[in-house]
Amino acid sequence: MIKKSIPQEILFYLAVVFISLVVLFPFLWMLSSSFKTQTDIIAWPPKLIFSPTLHNYEKVFGEQDFLKYFINSTVVGGLAVGLSLVLGLPAAYSISRFTQRKLALFILLARLMPGISFLMPWYIIFSRLGLMDTYVALVLSHMLIALPIVVWIMSSYFNSIPVELEESAMVDGATRQYAFWAIILPMSGPGIITSVTLSFIFSWNNFMFSQVLSMEKTRTLPIAVYNFVSYAEVDWGGVMAAAVAIMAPAILLTMIFQKFVVKGLTMGAVKG
Amino acid sequence: MHQPSFVERHLRVIFPLPAILFIGLLMIFPILYTLALSFTSWNLTSGAPLRFVGLRNYEQILTEPRFLDAVMRTFGFTIFAVLIEAVLGTVVALILNRAFIGKSLAKLLLLLPLVATPVAVGIVFNLFYDPTIGLANFALSSLGLPQGLWISNAASVIPSLIVVDVWQWTPMITLIVLAGLAGLSEEPFEAARVDGATQWQVLRYVTIPMVMPTILTAVILRLIDALKTFDIIFAMTGGGPGYASETLNIMGFKYSFEYFRMGQASVILIALFFFVLLCSLGIMKLRASSEN
Amino acid sequence: MKKILTSTVVLMSSLCLSAGAYAQTKEIRVLLANHPYGELLKTAIPEFEKQSGIKVNFESLQEGQLTTKLTTEFATKSSSVDVFMTRPLQEGKMFNKNGWYEPLKAYDFSDYPKNVMSVAAAGATPFLVPLVTEWQVLYYRKDLFQAAGLQVPKTFAELEATAQKLNSDAVAGIASRGKGAAAVTQLSSYVYNYGGLYIDKGVAVFDQPAAIDAIRYYGKLLGTYGPKGVTSMSWENIMPLFQAGKVAMWTDASVFYGQIVDPAKTQIPAADVGIADLPAGPKAGSPFIVTSWGIAVANQSKNKEAALKFLDWASSKELATKGMLSNITMARTSVWKDPKVLEAVNPGLVATRAYAAEKGYPLDRPYMSAVGEARDQIGELIIESINTKGASTTLADMARAKAARVNDLLKDAGEYGQP
Repeated sequence: MIKKSIPQEILFYLAVVFISLVVLFPFLWMLSSSFKTQTDIIAWPPKLIFSPTLHNYEKVFGEQDFLKYFINSTVVGGLAVGLSLVLGLPAAYSISRFTQRKLALFILLARLMPGISFLMPWYIIFSRLGLMDTYVALVLSHMLIALPIVVWIMSSYFNSIPVELEESAMVDGATRQYAFWAIILPMSGPGIITSVTLSFIFSWNNFMFSQVLSMEKTRTLPIAVYNFVSYAEVDWGGVMAAAVAIMAPAILLTMIFQKFVVKGLTMGAVKG
Repeated sequence: MHQPSFVERHLRVIFPLPAILFIGLLMIFPILYTLALSFTSWNLTSGAPLRFVGLRNYEQILTEPRFLDAVMRTFGFTIFAVLIEAVLGTVVALILNRAFIGKSLAKLLLLLPLVATPVAVGIVFNLFYDPTIGLANFALSSLGLPQGLWISNAASVIPSLIVVDVWQWTPMITLIVLAGLAGLSEEPFEAARVDGATQWQVLRYVTIPMVMPTILTAVILRLIDALKTFDIIFAMTGGGPGYASETLNIMGFKYSFEYFRMGQASVILIALFFFVLLCSLGIMKLRASSEN
Repeated sequence: MKKILTSTVVLMSSLCLSAGAYAQTKEIRVLLANHPYGELLKTAIPEFEKQSGIKVNFESLQEGQLTTKLTTEFATKSSSVDVFMTRPLQEGKMFNKNGWYEPLKAYDFSDYPKNVMSVAAAGATPFLVPLVTEWQVLYYRKDLFQAAGLQVPKTFAELEATAQKLNSDAVAGIASRGKGAAAVTQLSSYVYNYGGLYIDKGVAVFDQPAAIDAIRYYGKLLGTYGPKGVTSMSWENIMPLFQAGKVAMWTDASVFYGQIVDPAKTQIPAADVGIADLPAGPKAGSPFIVTSWGIAVANQSKNKEAALKFLDWASSKELATKGMLSNITMARTSVWKDPKVLEAVNPGLVATRAYAAEKGYPLDRPYMSAVGEARDQIGELIIESINTKGASTTLADMARAKAARVNDLLKDAGEYGQP
């Protein structure tokens, strides 16, 4: 590295602070609004100093039953990610070990295609089968988000595990599937964490599928937030508190698994 | 070595089969179903039975000004948003590409917009853009500038939406480019410095050409996602005012779930599918050529 | 591996089963709206279950989702819905045409105003029971009127003059919905007061001079004295402005009254909020008064007896009284004469309802199957008119094109030229 002069250093840190502020600003503003009363929110000029209230959060978790939507989102995301691992890990292994590039592209297609082009047929079919507003319909649709992420991340993760490991086990008489189960999978912790974190976050954030396929019973958080503008009432404070509540878990996961998330995102498997 | 069993001999089929079946059932079959519907008159509101109408839906939709506008708008939004994201994202990555105090914190901050729920982001920006009580106009007026109408005006709605998209997705380009920069070998830089190149020359003739493939991959990935942008537009404007922010995705959604014109909606969905497929083929070509 | 797969299949199918386990007699499925009356029914349902012995499985949905769900379930003939809340003006025509409503021949409709029944029946056959009614009113700020020495406007000319006098940088003179399709309902009363209609005898007539004049007036009013960005405003954007004291007058539906006088939600004291009849236009004083919600039995229902029992209960006078006491403006006539109710309900609501019930028009949007698309078409005219402050030179041509489009929609649905 070339030595930097002091003014250059100052300029550099100013730039870093500026970038951070631009990124953070909407979050900070959302957070502060969530502690304001309705009258403080619609006050002009906007109030920087106000007496904070927990009323909005009480409303979100008390009256609005957000806990239920929270559970729905968790169940749908958890099942979708779990089942995607069940389907995706062997597929990713096969892609990696047998260099099935066409298959990789086929599964990647699910990540690239616009969700709405399958949503309308799903809606009709699920309605016919009486599966609307069930976890089945939601989990299946969210699996289409999670599965490509799992396969994409895991196949390149398996690529980084030397093939000699299974081969030596197979020389000792183990079957290949046993070697996969007993040797490869236990070594795949970091890859699995990456794919689980990312696919869970994208399932958690999904709006379009849940908006159409879920109703009262299985409604997920993004839909609940969107519906917060209810009949004859708009409650900005409540909406902001709801927005905080929905983003918090994804942000928490990101903080815990920061390294994994960066890795997964920069590998190119982004956004469901 | 043991005798391979049936399962072991066919592992290359058995292992991926469930995933293939799943995607076939949940994705390929519905797409074919949509294709079939696009040739029918099916309209849920009319209660009339489904009838084969040949290419009539295609004629109607492809000559419909609202559709053509939506196509142009979809591409306009995508191209401008991704262009800005690519430039900003690369610049920020180049700035941050050095050791400094708080680097891992800065990288964490960059991740936050990427994992923020888009619908919630849209709603937060809605309050931000509100012409009367929003912060955007307050900022303008305290700087002595004329106030704007943001998403309330047909002329400014798309740029305002682009700002949101840029805020949310620029960090992704930054992170990818940062990862690309970290993977570069030191040798060309050493060589350039030995040759007495200035910082700017190193940047212009060594760094940028070397990370270009990474930037391109990131851009194409973003292009495909931006074409499909739905959540923030739906949550912020629903395609309005009028149809001023109606992209293909939103129009397809309206035709399917508000107008219930399944036949015509299918044509729109297929058009969107087609555009995304074209871009995807582009990315695959590029990947293939960069791998060879 | 295989084990995991089989257990997955078992898990999935058991999920299916638990979701599909309705049926048995004496059990009905009811779809309610996320509306205060839906909430009221929700809390009262256990009572009904106790006295009737019928088990009620209910879901409550946001209005757009409710329409979508009912439409797809009925159209794909996969419905298990027995009773549902319905929006007569939004979906009534289409549902009735497709035979999705069960005719209600035995129901006693004598307690409902005549003009209300026109959207609840086809000819002599009623198919839904009106629940909630709404009409257009003028909300205004008494304090601002007093300070400026102004009277409540009685005509459109006075309305415009008042808006002009009250309009300032800090406070918009008048607000009303400008957001395209969402504004169509609020524009309707203006059209009626100019002597026009959206659809007359199954033909789109909103390109006729009377309607055009109304659209111009609406555009001039909002374009000149309306809040900034009014073309993207529906009630959910205007109400906070009114609550923040940034709007002097607001024309919209009567349902919002409770919200804008609620001290927890508003910056202006309730005493400063006035409610008045919508001013009269050059031709008439005929605000919309509509049945915003009704309740009906599904034609596909297999438990019609139990379903009808629920319908009778849910639309009963007792529950209507309860509704009135929680500020829901009910459709039944008798509850508006009940002294106990009148004591609790705001006199402004009672007076404006009396005016609207006598002179009002029972529709607030194009009454047709493809109403969503028709609203989008008329919405474009509204936006054009507001953007040009009513002076658009192309408005008439645009209106002709849009009316032709709506006529095509009517023809597609076989409703063209039908009364």
